[in-house]
Amino acid sequence: MTVEELAMKVISACEAEKLDHMLTGAFAFNFYAIPRSTKDVDIVVDVTGAVKISALINRLEPEIEFRGQVQFDTLTWGKRHIGRPAQNSTLEVELFELFDDPFVQAQFKRKRRLVLPQIGMETWIPTPEDIVVQKLRWGRSKDLDDARDVLATEDPETLDMPYIQNWCAIHKTTDRLEAALASIPPL
Amino acid sequence: MPNPHDHPTALKDLQDSIYREKVLRARAMTREERFIAGVELTNEVSRRILQGAMARLGTDDESVAWVDVRRRAGRLRKTHDYGYYSLEKPAQ
Repeated sequence: MTVEELAMKVISACEAEKLDHMLTGAFAFNFYAIPRSTKDVDIVVDVTGAVKISALINRLEPEIEFRGQVQFDTLTWGKRHIGRPAQNSTLEVELFELFDDPFVQAQFKRKRRLVLPQIGMETWIPTPEDIVVQKLRWGRSKDLDDARDVLATEDPETLDMPYIQNWCAIHKTTDRLEAALASIPPL
Repeated sequence: MPNPHDHPTALKDLQDSIYREKVLRARAMTREERFIAGVELTNEVSRRILQGAMARLGTDDESVAWVDVRRRAGRLRKTHDYGYYSLEKPAQ
């Protein structure tokens, strides 16, 4: 199974269950930065309505096998469900439940439609500004590199920097933003 | 040829030059082209990982190699996720 087939399988399942969703992680990063490979299909799913995450997981199984136990990220305590294609693959699916964190809500509300007929994909992705804010918030080494790459490729002059600066102030990650900007060599 | 690792300034210049080239190449692509490039890279990496495992194990059987690849990938994920994910949420 190719990565785009796996992604479309999850996106189609979200649509079948009428669940609002957003493709995130490296897929979204690649749209705004230096393309790189990934090992995950990451999707944020709005399960705040009547349809529960179990309905989506049931629809995806048995082609994608999910671990029984939900995981919580230790930064925001958001919920993550991990699935792995039953057939041979190095990839995993990560379903993130939308929850009441103000930034997570804002990011989801601002998502953009992405249509790629070349690979038969239609979905939603975050804005570049929201990817930068999220990456700086997480702050792992790879996240900081990713934030720098989006800033460099998209160009701070074309990005809504006041929006980024505002969230960084709220998340207390302004120092990370400044370090990322300072690390970009003259282009 | 001088070794840039002996000269911190030269090494930084080399790193900046490589990074600049990567960014300018990405900027020369459309966003859609970059997205698809990431998809193609992922599929190619997956294929090469499998080929590498088959060579390492000395087998022509893809299913044998996949077992090894998935085991190693699982270990790597656990390492990357360590400290960032928990199976329990603390009480409010």
